[in-house]
Amino acid sequence: MIAYLVRRCLGVAGVLFAICAVTFVIFYLLPADPAAAACGKTCSPERLAEVRHYMGLDQPVWRRFADYLVGIFAGRDLGTGPHALHCGFPCLGYSYENALPVWDLLMDRLPVSASLALGAACMWLVLGLGAGVTAALKKGGLLDRTLMVGAVATASLPVYFTAVVLIYALVRVGGLLPYPTYTPLTADPMGWAANLLLPWTALALLYAAMYARQSRSSMIEAMDQPFIRTARAKGMPGRVVVAKHGLRSAMMPVLTIFGMDLGALLAGAVITESVFGIPGVGRLFYDALQRSDQPVVLGVTLLAAFFIVVANVVIDLLYAVVDPRARS
Amino acid sequence: MARQSRALSASLSASLALALLSACAGQAAEGGSEERARPGVATGTIIGGTPKKGGTLTVLSNQDFGHLDPARNWVMPTMDFGTRLLYRTLTTFKAAPGKRGSELAPDLATDLGRPSDGGRTWTFTLKPGLKYEDGTPIRARDIKYNVERSFAPDLVGGPDYAQRYLDGAEGYTGPLEGEHLKSIRTPDDRTIVFSLRRPVAEFSYTVTLPTFSPVPKSREKGVQYDLRPFSSGPYRIESYARGKKLVLVRNPHWDPATDTVRKAYPDRIVVQQGLKGGQIDDRVIASAGADASAVEWSDMQPASIAKVLPRPEVRKRLSAEQTGCTDMLALNTSRPPFDNLKLRQAMQYAVDKSAQVTAAGGPALNDVATGYLPPALTGGRAVDSPYGTSPTGDVKKAGKLLAEGGKPDGFSTTITVSTGDKTRAEALQQSLSRVGVRLRIQSVDPSVYYDTIGDTKNAPDMAISGWCPDYPSGSTFLPFVFDGRTIKEKGNQGNVSQFRDEAVQKRMDEIAAMSDAESADKAWIDLDSVVLRKSPAVPLLWKRKPLLVGDNVAGAFGHPAWTGQFDFAVIGLKDPSRSKG
Amino acid sequence: MTITPNTTARTGPSALPEHPLRAALRKLWGDRGSRAALIAVALLVLVALTAPLLSRLGGWSPTAFDSSAIDPYLGGMPRGPLGGVSAEHWLGVEPATGRDLFARVVHGARVSLLIAFAATAIVVVAGTAAGIAAGYFGGRVDTVLSRLMDLTMSFPSLIFMIAVMSVAQDVNRVVLMTAVIGVFGWPGIARVVRGETLSLRHREYVEAARVAGSGSWRILTREILPNISGPVIAYTTLLIPGMISTEAALSFLGVGVRPPTSSWGQMIAEAVTYYETDPMYFLVPSTFLFVAVLAFTVLGDALRDILDPRGGRS
Repeated sequence: MIAYLVRRCLGVAGVLFAICAVTFVIFYLLPADPAAAACGKTCSPERLAEVRHYMGLDQPVWRRFADYLVGIFAGRDLGTGPHALHCGFPCLGYSYENALPVWDLLMDRLPVSASLALGAACMWLVLGLGAGVTAALKKGGLLDRTLMVGAVATASLPVYFTAVVLIYALVRVGGLLPYPTYTPLTADPMGWAANLLLPWTALALLYAAMYARQSRSSMIEAMDQPFIRTARAKGMPGRVVVAKHGLRSAMMPVLTIFGMDLGALLAGAVITESVFGIPGVGRLFYDALQRSDQPVVLGVTLLAAFFIVVANVVIDLLYAVVDPRARS
Repeated sequence: MARQSRALSASLSASLALALLSACAGQAAEGGSEERARPGVATGTIIGGTPKKGGTLTVLSNQDFGHLDPARNWVMPTMDFGTRLLYRTLTTFKAAPGKRGSELAPDLATDLGRPSDGGRTWTFTLKPGLKYEDGTPIRARDIKYNVERSFAPDLVGGPDYAQRYLDGAEGYTGPLEGEHLKSIRTPDDRTIVFSLRRPVAEFSYTVTLPTFSPVPKSREKGVQYDLRPFSSGPYRIESYARGKKLVLVRNPHWDPATDTVRKAYPDRIVVQQGLKGGQIDDRVIASAGADASAVEWSDMQPASIAKVLPRPEVRKRLSAEQTGCTDMLALNTSRPPFDNLKLRQAMQYAVDKSAQVTAAGGPALNDVATGYLPPALTGGRAVDSPYGTSPTGDVKKAGKLLAEGGKPDGFSTTITVSTGDKTRAEALQQSLSRVGVRLRIQSVDPSVYYDTIGDTKNAPDMAISGWCPDYPSGSTFLPFVFDGRTIKEKGNQGNVSQFRDEAVQKRMDEIAAMSDAESADKAWIDLDSVVLRKSPAVPLLWKRKPLLVGDNVAGAFGHPAWTGQFDFAVIGLKDPSRSKG
Repeated sequence: MTITPNTTARTGPSALPEHPLRAALRKLWGDRGSRAALIAVALLVLVALTAPLLSRLGGWSPTAFDSSAIDPYLGGMPRGPLGGVSAEHWLGVEPATGRDLFARVVHGARVSLLIAFAATAIVVVAGTAAGIAAGYFGGRVDTVLSRLMDLTMSFPSLIFMIAVMSVAQDVNRVVLMTAVIGVFGWPGIARVVRGETLSLRHREYVEAARVAGSGSWRILTREILPNISGPVIAYTTLLIPGMISTEAALSFLGVGVRPPTSSWGQMIAEAVTYYETDPMYFLVPSTFLFVAVLAFTVLGDALRDILDPRGGRS
């Protein structure tokens, strides 16, 4: 098991390295010159050269990449002299825009995106699994068909459409909810929930629809397996069969998808955050992109990849615990 | 700042308030189109009357400030915000709407500065009793220190007038390593003397820029000073979460007796950032709860015009001051086809400027530009164009010039615009097709727009570019836009047309050397029409800045010096007790 | 890890006398829901194919401005009710420019469907090839390809697509978008195919062919490929709605096609601020997008049930 864990961790590091390298190269190809952007509209060539040196852009790309990688662990300095900045592990560099350490920016925005993702996840799990399992148990009935038609239709609505409709109905016309902003959970739990309710709903509707479809089919498949049929034949009450055996084996594939979805969302739901104006990681990414703030873009990409990879590992570990054969 | 953000260039609306307020109190229906075209409240109207002291003013924004560090702050609305609330400068603009707003008042200094040596040396004396937010005195050497900071390669982005004007500034890289400028002397704590490399008649205006505000050396934090500038103004920073929220509270050591400009009505100012543009409009229009005490930071969206103009009670809360910037279609004069004068002149007639107006939000928020210098620099009225007055252009004359230029059947050409200007580029495409000019549009992200058009070797034939004067003087306009010596091979900005003309450059130097500001102003206007005849660019629009306020806001007007952003020196609330909502 | 390879025995080639494709079509047609989806898909494809013709019929090119249809004093709002719907402009006009919405939305169908189909084609070809190779050859080939699949799936794909699209300036946007969407899509189908291939590899008739001296190429194309075509077709159809959504999302975020080209996502992005003042402008492209995604999903579901009744569901 330990060897397995070590192997997986090495794999994670390898994947993150590859993603980092690819992102770095992509931005190296960008025509934008961050030094010129920082320097302002009437920058003389000499001053531009100084700025470029200060930002480390006068180095060849491989050197910058090496510095970046080493800097993550060893820390980095920005500038020289009495007011030079230093950031320690894990140091992802500094934003070109405001000279804040990228790590601090990410950690500042992460609670926002995490609130959004986790709240929405709770909603969609309840809605999606509820609908899916109900439909599976009533397979072929009117309820099943209604739920599934609803799910297919909802899954076909883009989140930016749902968002607009929700805002119009509940905020503009209904006046029931405030315009979404972000209030920290610690400052005002009620305000936190009230402000996030709309984005949660918009996001959750989309995923709930997908989960309803997924959980219905895996539930049907599970209920059709020999051991369930055996349990039934042995006279086990239907509810117990469903709860003890059916659900458990049906939930494994759902869990897999859930891990991946949550991993991807934790590092920011770009569209949802941008439609609702929520200051999360996704919004940070989008704004940074507009300003060619390469260190921030790189940081968000790595964070997102990290969550996805970790989610994968966690799922695999869960499988491995359940089924030792999976450790191969 | 010269570079305006073009993302929402289309926005608009505005000024309608004026029309409404003044013209039509009683009539419901809009009159003829003449009447409707009148931009409303443009100039001279203060929304909401005189404010009362106290309460919380909320500012709703879709973005973060670029830089609040006074050495780096060169974005017009942010300069307004910084210099009106957080740091004082040697002189500043009067807190008044319309033309009076372009007049100067002493701020930290006792007067507008005393020139000597033919305008090469300028001396300022500080008022007595000036204090920072911690009660320590403001000293002349702190102003010198901030000017020096603006030379540091890590504190870039700010106005570069100090670099341009100060004597012996070449190669200086800031005070962080302990070196200092000899051309700024501070013989005592209240006197500061600037030695310039050439006479500068309008130096009193130059020192309105945030570069000329005090930063004590003991508070230096390098690039992170941006997060918490040390206050010499009426407010200090209580908290600042970048991109999310900035909270200002009163600076108890600011003494109103030393300040003739700022009124500082609200007790607190809260800036909420990163909101969604359309939602900001809806909130301010609805004016519910705390939103009644809110003002917009970013331009109202074009889509909201239809929610505002037809409703008189909302319309009167819309400010739409002229930005004072000119939007131009720059023609690349460095190579065919626009190295040909006739073809350039043909463009002056071929462009349908009224289509530009519509694409940018309509006549309520835009005026057709007739020259390069905005009206603020030409005595308040539009100059007469040598190309006539038809806003839709003149296809016949354009055709004739094309024939004279050897292209009677038109030609193919390219334009690069930032994605926010796409509709305007499409409108250009349409209007040029009337004379057989086929325009290929390349649109790029705003983040790389200036880099793309600033790469002179690969620059497009045309580009939409704007320029805003830093203060009301032609010296902050024409030399930046049409001086061939400022062209850089990469990162070229300002002179996007790559216009090189010996006679024009010579004349610019002559005007810059004039010691009398008034005759210099006249000379710039004359030079404007000289350049216009050579046609390196087609003037397109003079835009207005549409901003809404909540119905509890008072004392709001767009200030002409800062592209029509609200003057934060005197804005406040009608009923401070309502702002707690 | 999402897909559990289908290892249960599958009755070799179908024993039905009818051609399997025709049988599938007949079954599709028999169900009300999938029949409607089939018709909707056919109509959309037809609209996309005949877009220039249709817009000529409507009398407007998608890029022509109509300043008479909008009111400049209201920020360019369309004149008349319902966003300017009239005999002249069937679905109304775009605010600020007066361009014809009907012409734009049918041309948008072209771009949206073209990108979705082309990206799907890339994904299916690349994914099937990789899956077959990994499953059939096994060993090192399998290891390398599987690692590559893991790596690709670990990329935060939407974030990455946005970054790439905003970096690339001077290229054909449609081609680039197709490529970018395609690059991140192939591992899913590759895993399905790999699983199927693994289960076929040691089947008797494959072994028989091998013993008879058939080369790998021949075995792959003659024996394996035909037997995995069912799940591949079903999976392919289910990929399309995702591709349409992705294209729309990228265009919505402003990194999609360049003006004056229209696509549904780009139209929705511009219309989103007008949802209250000009709801028609917002609803027209949204409806097209919704119907397209819905129709392809329903069709995909039905095809999967018919062609691959026990297949991988993810």
